[in-house]
Amino acid sequence: MDTFLSEDLKKSLAEIGEADIVVGIPSYNNARTIGHVVRAASAGLAQYFSNYRCVILNSDGGSKDNTRDVVLQSEHDVSSLLLVSSHKVNPIQRVSSPYVGLPGKGSAFRAVFAAACQLKAKACVVVDSDLRSIAPHWIELLAKPVLDRNMDFIAPYYQRHKYDGTITNGIIYPMTRSLFGKRIRQPIGGDFGFSGRLAQRYLEKDVWETDVARFGIDIWMTLTAAAEDFQVGQSYLGAKLHDAKDPGADLSNMFRQVVGSIFALMETYEPVWKNVQGSAAVPMFGFPFEVGVEPIAVNVERMIKAYAQGVNDLREIYGGFLSPATREELVACAAKSGDEFRFPDPLWVRVIYEFAVAHRNRAIDRGHLMQSLVPLYMGRTASFVIEMRDAGPLEVEERIDQLAAVFEQEKPYLMERWGASPQKEQSHAKPA
Amino acid sequence: MQNLLDMFVEPFNRLREQFAAVVGPLFAMMVILIVGGAAAFLIRQLVYRLLVAAKFDRMVDDTGTANTILRTRVFRSPSDFGARLVQSMIWLLVVLMALYAGGQMTQGLVERFISYIPAIITATLVLILGSAISKFLARSTLLAAVNAQWSGARLIAGGVRVLIMFLTVVIALEELQIGRTALLIAFAILFGGIVLGGSVAFGLGARDFVRDWLREKATHPKGEEEDILHHL
Repeated sequence: MDTFLSEDLKKSLAEIGEADIVVGIPSYNNARTIGHVVRAASAGLAQYFSNYRCVILNSDGGSKDNTRDVVLQSEHDVSSLLLVSSHKVNPIQRVSSPYVGLPGKGSAFRAVFAAACQLKAKACVVVDSDLRSIAPHWIELLAKPVLDRNMDFIAPYYQRHKYDGTITNGIIYPMTRSLFGKRIRQPIGGDFGFSGRLAQRYLEKDVWETDVARFGIDIWMTLTAAAEDFQVGQSYLGAKLHDAKDPGADLSNMFRQVVGSIFALMETYEPVWKNVQGSAAVPMFGFPFEVGVEPIAVNVERMIKAYAQGVNDLREIYGGFLSPATREELVACAAKSGDEFRFPDPLWVRVIYEFAVAHRNRAIDRGHLMQSLVPLYMGRTASFVIEMRDAGPLEVEERIDQLAAVFEQEKPYLMERWGASPQKEQSHAKPA
Repeated sequence: MQNLLDMFVEPFNRLREQFAAVVGPLFAMMVILIVGGAAAFLIRQLVYRLLVAAKFDRMVDDTGTANTILRTRVFRSPSDFGARLVQSMIWLLVVLMALYAGGQMTQGLVERFISYIPAIITATLVLILGSAISKFLARSTLLAAVNAQWSGARLIAGGVRVLIMFLTVVIALEELQIGRTALLIAFAILFGGIVLGGSVAFGLGARDFVRDWLREKATHPKGEEEDILHHL
């Protein structure tokens, strides 16, 4: 565990001794936005956890824009923000330190896990440093269920625009639900609460030289908690607005790191998901309320064009691992354009499952495999946008649920294709 | 009289000696080939069973190369491939032994062949490596071009593959010392021709494309029609 922490951080943690709550904020050149996040976290800790010993830890990736100075120097006295002065607030410790390991959010989180374990924290919260919509109550909603309700992992539940988070809606949420039977709506939300026990478990894993150390960390945290039978819940946080800068803006990279991570975890947790049937809701905390969401522009024509080109130009690649029936249907879809274009749910589910099996069998280089999924995802997203053009939030949510149900129904197809290949060695499949 | 008899007998003696000199080694060669071939076959069977028992197929599957072996449609499984590889090596050894047993004429052939083996191995490795690299890079190019929505993505990827394979063949032949100068000149002419031809073709053929692209950029500034989807 010691090797996960820089010397500076070890010294700071030794001075602090112990803490009840650790709020971790990973960063890389976020000087513009991190001050707001630190203030919100400080206010949240002061307002809802005044009797607890709290630490805010900024785990930085070597920022060149004074991010760490902003963390340490931003307003410490938050009482004026809270309009409360009657109750005594334990001083909130702030630490900012560069992390060790591969550059990426995962390595930053590992330092947070290690610090939480060293401080013997009961609860941990991690929030992104580019959040514009974070409010003090987020800290309560992410930490309180862990402290008071014996939960081990709290995922965020955001209100998002109907076209926002299409990888989450079309792949990650339905896959998480069908594989592990838990309806965690935002498995890769990025803002999580978790117990010290779970932080310890995360640290025991040997994944820090993989894509998990980069941007696969969110799905890895969620699936590890779900697969290893930790108590999982979700908290309603309202809208998520973040800075325009997106570290994973390249779609191919996103697929490799996020979708590739979920495929890799299917191998790790094969004995678990093969025994799961159906799905159930997880405990929900917080008070749902309507919020305005930012509008999103989508160029459907361009997406359909990308899909058609992919189906045509990548036919030999798809021929190596997609079934003939699936390929035929993909070609048939490509023949339609404009508002006529549709990518049916069962076809999309089969595509994802066949890609998962190809990933497991290493049918082609895994990076190439993930890249070849991008055009098909474009087609699926275009179809979703066309279908939902006039739909309201409730209708969209129902539609996403409908897709998730198809993922569950088609799970035997996945198991059948998966079973056709030799089994892999399992590791980390059981809780400590 | 004796001389006359010798005149008749001598050719027969020489023929017998020559026959013995040829038949002996020929017989030895045949025996070596038959026994060696049988031994190679038996060893192949044995190696196959050993590999199956050691779960070699699964090990190869884990490295991701099993599909490449199966796609050749020559081998039933990685174990079959391993066993046949061992058989081929034994066969090579047997053939060399047989040639060595074949007397002075074939011994020279063997010696020349043996001195040529390092070059053959190097050239084979170059070809295998070049083929794998060209396939990988062509696929990388194809995927990147398709995801960037470039028209002619397959043509670009095909071009990458041909170029790398051509370079590989030139290096392999150079290693085998076959047509050194001619190859070098041919490569220089071809490569120069490709660059020149490509430049001219792009200059003339893509004139309209470049004009349309610039017009598009001028009338639709960057980002105006871009998606602002947050995929995650």
